[in-house]
Amino acid sequence: MTRLRLGLFLLVLLASAAVAAPWLAGLLGRDPLAPDLFARYAPPGAGFPLGADELGRDLLLRLFFGARVSLGVGLAAALAATLLGTAIGLLAAWRGGWVDALLMRLADGLLALPALPILVLLAAIDPARFGLPRGEAMTDMIRITTILVLFGWVGVARLARAGAITILASDYVRAARALGVSEARLLLRHVLPGLRAPVAVAGALAVAGAILAESVLSFLGLGIQPPAPSWGNMLANAQEAVFEAPLAALWPGLAILAAVAGCSLVADGLSRARR
Amino acid sequence: MGHAWRRAILASLVPLGLTLPAAAQAPRDRLTIGLAQYPSTFHPNIEAMAAKSYILGFARRPLTAYDADWKLTCLACERLPTLENGDAVLERTPDGKDGIRLTYRIREGERWADGTPVSADDLRFAWEAGRSFETGFGGAEFYRSAYELIVVDARTVTLRLDKVTYDFAAMGDFQPLPSRIERPRWQSDPKTYRSRTAYDTETTNPGLWNGPYRVTAVQPGAGVTLERNAHWTGPAPAFERIAIRTVENSAALEAQLLAGQLDMVAGELGLPLEQAVALQRRTGDRFRVEYVPGLTYEHIDLKLDNPILADRRVRQALLYGADRAQIVERLYQGRQEVAAGGVHPRDPIYEADVPRYAFDPARAAALLEEAGWKPGPDGIRRNAAGEKLSFEFMTTAGNRAREQVQQVLAGMWRAIGVEARIRNEPPRVFFAETVSRRRFDALAMFAWVSSPENVPRSLFHSDEIPRAERNWSGQNYTGYRDAEVDRLIEAIPVELDPAKRRPMWAALQRKLATDLPALPLWHRSDAHVWPRWLEGIRPTGHQNYSSLWVTEWRVR
Amino acid sequence: MAARLPQIALTLVLLSLAAWFAIGLMPGDPASLAMMADPKLTPADVERLRALHGLDQPLLARYGAWVLGLLRGELGFSRLFAQPVWMVLWPALLSTLVLVGMAVALAAVIGVALGALAAMRPRLAPLVDGLALLGQAVPSFWLGILFIIFFAVQLGWLPAGGLPEPGSSSLPFLVLPVATIAFGQLAGYARHATAALGAELQKPFITSIRARGAGEARVVWRHALPNAAVPLLTLLALDAGALVSGALVTETLFARPGMGKLLYDAVMGNDYNLALLALLLVALATMLATLAADLAQLWLDPRIETR
Repeated sequence: MTRLRLGLFLLVLLASAAVAAPWLAGLLGRDPLAPDLFARYAPPGAGFPLGADELGRDLLLRLFFGARVSLGVGLAAALAATLLGTAIGLLAAWRGGWVDALLMRLADGLLALPALPILVLLAAIDPARFGLPRGEAMTDMIRITTILVLFGWVGVARLARAGAITILASDYVRAARALGVSEARLLLRHVLPGLRAPVAVAGALAVAGAILAESVLSFLGLGIQPPAPSWGNMLANAQEAVFEAPLAALWPGLAILAAVAGCSLVADGLSRARR
Repeated sequence: MGHAWRRAILASLVPLGLTLPAAAQAPRDRLTIGLAQYPSTFHPNIEAMAAKSYILGFARRPLTAYDADWKLTCLACERLPTLENGDAVLERTPDGKDGIRLTYRIREGERWADGTPVSADDLRFAWEAGRSFETGFGGAEFYRSAYELIVVDARTVTLRLDKVTYDFAAMGDFQPLPSRIERPRWQSDPKTYRSRTAYDTETTNPGLWNGPYRVTAVQPGAGVTLERNAHWTGPAPAFERIAIRTVENSAALEAQLLAGQLDMVAGELGLPLEQAVALQRRTGDRFRVEYVPGLTYEHIDLKLDNPILADRRVRQALLYGADRAQIVERLYQGRQEVAAGGVHPRDPIYEADVPRYAFDPARAAALLEEAGWKPGPDGIRRNAAGEKLSFEFMTTAGNRAREQVQQVLAGMWRAIGVEARIRNEPPRVFFAETVSRRRFDALAMFAWVSSPENVPRSLFHSDEIPRAERNWSGQNYTGYRDAEVDRLIEAIPVELDPAKRRPMWAALQRKLATDLPALPLWHRSDAHVWPRWLEGIRPTGHQNYSSLWVTEWRVR
Repeated sequence: MAARLPQIALTLVLLSLAAWFAIGLMPGDPASLAMMADPKLTPADVERLRALHGLDQPLLARYGAWVLGLLRGELGFSRLFAQPVWMVLWPALLSTLVLVGMAVALAAVIGVALGALAAMRPRLAPLVDGLALLGQAVPSFWLGILFIIFFAVQLGWLPAGGLPEPGSSSLPFLVLPVATIAFGQLAGYARHATAALGAELQKPFITSIRARGAGEARVVWRHALPNAAVPLLTLLALDAGALVSGALVTETLFARPGMGKLLYDAVMGNDYNLALLALLLVALATMLATLAADLAQLWLDPRIETR
């Protein structure tokens, strides 16, 4: 259980940073978005606890606000992917036959499909057409989350399907059916609870994957657009000036590392607790 | 076990550790250049691309080029045709239009690297291939206008054009192509010539190259190796071999330079200015860094159909409210000059006496008040109808230099009560759709690359506003229309007397600087990073790159 | 099992159709790209360009023509690189396969060794766990930059990236990118190896071998590992497939041309034919790798039934 606790501790720490971001902004008396050309790459010290970035903005403050975006994308993507994946996995296992075959081949296809063209395509869509505000970090978050969900449900679905097949074949499900329990009730009350553990593990790992994926998208210039900070775009911006200000690259890197490690620990802890 | 392991690791690393510095100490008969792009083709006439122009500069000789002093000179020809020396003759075309007849003589001793002389037939082939549209050569306008080519003798051709412009002598991309190799390939099917040309299928064939160097090895996506052209008759270049290595990620490019794998980084297509400034500050005098103002003009196109921006006072206020000098000073350490307009200060047609808009927030505020925008409760101005002074500000996603400037500008405008909402798109989406089909809402920041004395017809003539009926051709993305500017743009190219063109150029620049369809930022400086031992490179700042004069490069 | 091949073929067809439309819906066709390069093109020129590239045809008709060409064995040309597609694809695929192959092999060997270590010496398990965690959590481009700064710029031991001059050894140029990828993949193998070996070592037949006095190392390597290899093999195959296109970041950072980079450029440069064939190649590679893993599983462990 120590893993689970350690992981949860890390995640709670990061989440509280996200919650405390406006408070920190008040404390430091700074705006995470407003550039200050006189403070470019300011060293850590009085005004800037961790120093300043390429536009003179406080790194610590941006890390705190970045936590909102990065964790937000991670959690939203993982949650949606887990729900979708579980539903599809369950459906495949329950119906079997051609439905199962179709869904699983779709999963194979998605695994083999590089996400890039679709990402560019999504970047080209005018968010205003869907009633989303233009030029807001929220729109970028939705776009990236959509992509991650589109590709992220596959892993969960496979796990859920495998688990559901085992449960559906068990004696006690057969007994329940013999007793005339309705299929919907069977799935909801008997099969789904049995899937909790593997799905939770997959979900925790999906959060980690989404946070890493966001940083890679930012590296390619397809991530969260400025001025909103995310750990990914902070890291990607800092890598360009890595010789000039190595510390600016260190902190967002560590934040990502901590978040991903936290999720993995939680996943690990959950799967061990199951055993 | 532990010991043996460590020794094995050390043993395997030591030779590697020695090889890199050792390579740098070797006699300097080779030069390794870092470049931020790899050309997608090596054919001189297909697809204009900076990386290709740079590499072909070593290996090809065009007829004419602009030199480092921005004067048109002959490279593969003997002399420039002028009306005075009789090589240019004004005449009537068969269908009665104003035309001109130009005679070029290929320089004595020009040879392809397989020993064949460069001939009039090579020019004739280039003309024929360019004339036939399906070949897909760039510069379609030139080939349309060059309606006849007469081979006078083995080294001389006469071209007849049905259009007379003051820069008639500049042949640009029209240059000899090895007819012996390329003509059969082209003739068998002009439509697919593009993918069968020897320039891309047998790039190392010496018969394709007539410069001081020839391409001897190609590693697709990674680099090109050049060696001396044995049949080159001009002054001998200093290096036996020149290796060009492509590194697209700029941090990686810098790392390879610092690691000693690269001798220099080409300024034409190398490190972003900001990074080069920082590199110089950190490494002291290890490298020579030279900053050369170039013809890449960073600006912000304003969509004039937007009701906010339709008011000239608002456009001027935006420029007054942007402290461009501060940005240049802080981000680039003053290595780049604030631009007054699209014409470069080194361009002979440059007019200094135009409105300049030095940073003046009070003036900006006054102009906005005058235009009816009063401060609102949240600091953003509102008009009488209660609408916010708020618009979208777009640029290319992933271009960090631009994104930085964009955020700083948005911050400065907020201070005068203007809200610029940032929305960026990948370059492909941004250029191919948003900008070129005028789908941006207000501001679009990007760069134009021009040439000396370039008439900005496609940018500001009212006929050049992209529309669906015109297949979206034209680059007047702002939607600027002004009868006076149209007239000047039509009159300038056909005025052959430089003294008479001068006041027209001045009037055009003044008018554009007053109306501000686009906000000028700066002409980008190229940062050339050279080793201390290299000299003689003269960066040009325009589209004819320093590599064309490689024979002047020397080892100290 | 035999049903898998037609399934793969069907997936490829559907994939190509989906990708064709995805790319087709993206803004910017070759004609508009040409227009940006040459502002002096007239509207009529643009019309002719569209016809020349077949862009005046509907999307589905163009797809049909493309498939027919493919069936006749005409792979066609890359618009972006003005060369037969195969000449562009082949070197990129080769370079990526070498990179990914070495990285996955290295990760598997070290990962399994670490896993075995953790299974044999439970005291070391937290250390191995920590390392695995680190490998999983570090963003790869960050790690790559750190490697470059340290090993190439500071120490000067290894090249910072790029390819060797033709004819010289490519090994030094592979070390850092291989290490970057391998470090990220390590975690998976170490975890699986620890778990699988841990489970194997509990089994009665191991106890009996131990009772016969076999050394612990022998027990792990000769007896437990072969049985634990089955899930590892699946992991290996999945990794290799995913990495062929996923090496983009590493390839960009180390300036190595490869499939990831090629695919990115093809999509961004609107090179339909190249993008599509590269995509299908990558997809095929992934699916074949999965198939191979399943077959290997069958061969190693005949108990697994096929459905």
